[in-house]
Amino acid sequence: MINDIRVGALIASSSVKRGNKKTLMFIVFVLSLIFMNLVFLPSMIGGMTVLFTGFMQDYPYGDVVIEPTGDNTYINNADSVLKKVRAVEGVRAATKRLDVGASIDHKQNVVGVTVTGMLPTEEYEISQYPYIITDGDFLGELSRDEIIIGAMIAGTGFGSEIYDNLGEVKVGSLVDVTYSNGVKKTYKVKGIMEGTFELVDLNALVHYKEIEEVYGLEGSKATSVVVRIDKQGTEEQIQDKIREAGVNEQVFTWADKSETLIKQAMQSMGAIDIMSKFVSLIVGAALILIIIYINILNKKKEIGILKAIGITPRSIVLSYAFLSTFYVSLGIIAGLALYLSLMFYFQANPVVFYETMEIRPVIDPMLLIQSIITMLTLSVIAGTLPAWSVSKESILKAIWGR
Amino acid sequence: MIVVKDLKRYYGSGQTAVKALNGVSFEIKKGEFVAIMGASGSGKTTLLRILALLDDATAGEYTIRGLKVSSLPEAERSYYRLTQVGYVFQDYALINEMSAAENVYVLSMMEGRSKKESYKTALEALEKVGLKGKQDRIPDELSGGEKQRVAIARAIAKKPDIMFADEPCANLDTNNSKQVLDVFKDLNDNYGQTIVMVTHELWHTEYVDRVITLEDGVLVSDEMMDEGGEEK
Repeated sequence: MINDIRVGALIASSSVKRGNKKTLMFIVFVLSLIFMNLVFLPSMIGGMTVLFTGFMQDYPYGDVVIEPTGDNTYINNADSVLKKVRAVEGVRAATKRLDVGASIDHKQNVVGVTVTGMLPTEEYEISQYPYIITDGDFLGELSRDEIIIGAMIAGTGFGSEIYDNLGEVKVGSLVDVTYSNGVKKTYKVKGIMEGTFELVDLNALVHYKEIEEVYGLEGSKATSVVVRIDKQGTEEQIQDKIREAGVNEQVFTWADKSETLIKQAMQSMGAIDIMSKFVSLIVGAALILIIIYINILNKKKEIGILKAIGITPRSIVLSYAFLSTFYVSLGIIAGLALYLSLMFYFQANPVVFYETMEIRPVIDPMLLIQSIITMLTLSVIAGTLPAWSVSKESILKAIWGR
Repeated sequence: MIVVKDLKRYYGSGQTAVKALNGVSFEIKKGEFVAIMGASGSGKTTLLRILALLDDATAGEYTIRGLKVSSLPEAERSYYRLTQVGYVFQDYALINEMSAAENVYVLSMMEGRSKKESYKTALEALEKVGLKGKQDRIPDELSGGEKQRVAIARAIAKKPDIMFADEPCANLDTNNSKQVLDVFKDLNDNYGQTIVMVTHELWHTEYVDRVITLEDGVLVSDEMMDEGGEEK
């Protein structure tokens, strides 16, 4: 076997050393495109996932979110929950929120929204809400009868034309909010927020005390307690620690909560991704096979000669396996260079999605490793099968065609 | 050394079968330089390919040093071709992407020798055929005669029991043909190499000890030659 490997390597290396360089370059170029095809689209989809999951963490769910158990609408005594949560090692900040359904009315334009009651000063540590005010100011600790309106419902942001909106609400405008319990209240618009994300821009924010008063809630109730942690990736450990700390409500990580939503959002893209990968693999395998097969057909006589002078079929098959592995390795290196160049380009010039969202592709090392392994496996199969088939032919047929 | 008994090779079957060889028998002794001659289609190349284990006989027996090689399985035939048999093709059959030395030492490496030792053997073989200093040339950089001499070097480097040559001068001019035949003669005279060569050129008989003539797949004459290529 060692002799087979040595001779296989000698045949392959001389073929590379003295073979046609233009053909080699063409083969490598095609293989690099096959590799690119395998990794580029998934990287873009990865970028979209990161963007959406980032939204989930920055706005509704934080890193870990605590919600009421069973059919309960509220977490009772959220302050006690907060105290326990804040004492957990690895928790950076936590706050309580009250989400309620309402409709907002402005100059006979009515829009249904979720109004979130929050503690403004705590939100600076928890979410991006305080930082996305495009007009006016964020809520303050003493904000009463004041509201922050999402840009899409205000009629000023991108997407306003798609959704119902209030028709050019500005800072200082007065809007009427009718809560789900029928209570109606007039608010002065303190700011317009634009998070370039529907879950944000179609909602409104008020002070926590507003919701407490409107719904007559006592004993620090909350629909959710949002938690941020020190170290990304430790969400599940913190989730366990919070449970161990005696919090009996439902504790989710942002991934748990986002899963359904992101899954839905990504489902169609994921299907395209899978299809694209499948097609790329089939096309890639076929191309590698064709390239190597044509190469082998051109060398059919040579294979016959090698057999005639006593070179074993195993050495011949190995030489083509080495050769195709070499081609594919060069293709992968060229493909990687091309891929990384494109990645850097798109990092600097992100793809703008939905006019406002910037998608930057994500370089996923696992994806790269998987694709490299797939390509190398394909190369061994594609190099071995045709060579094996030709090496099984009789010497006379291989050399003289009969 | 070589014993051939009633060797037959038919292509096709029944009434339409082509009888390329139809019951050929002869013996070749060690150290002989034999020419197989005959008109085109007489079966000489078919016979040589069967002797060199490149093709199978339809019937008959063929032994080399008492070993019935005609019935060996392919793996052993391959090993036999590698270690015991040298074959020189009409069209040189060199690997174009390998240098002269690589074309020669690939077989030594296949036999398990180190690259260094194989290279040394290749240089000796190339020197023996008059190609000293041309070991790094690829076939495209060599003349027809030089290519054929590389092919001979490849065949002799492994010191085979028998060397077969299928019209080795067919593509060469007279001058190059003489050079190649001189190499054969030298190998035969000075190293005792057994050589079986197919040829259709009468003047090649000057170099050989014996001429076997085929006609329509049948052996029609088997004559020993003197130094001048005349029948003894």
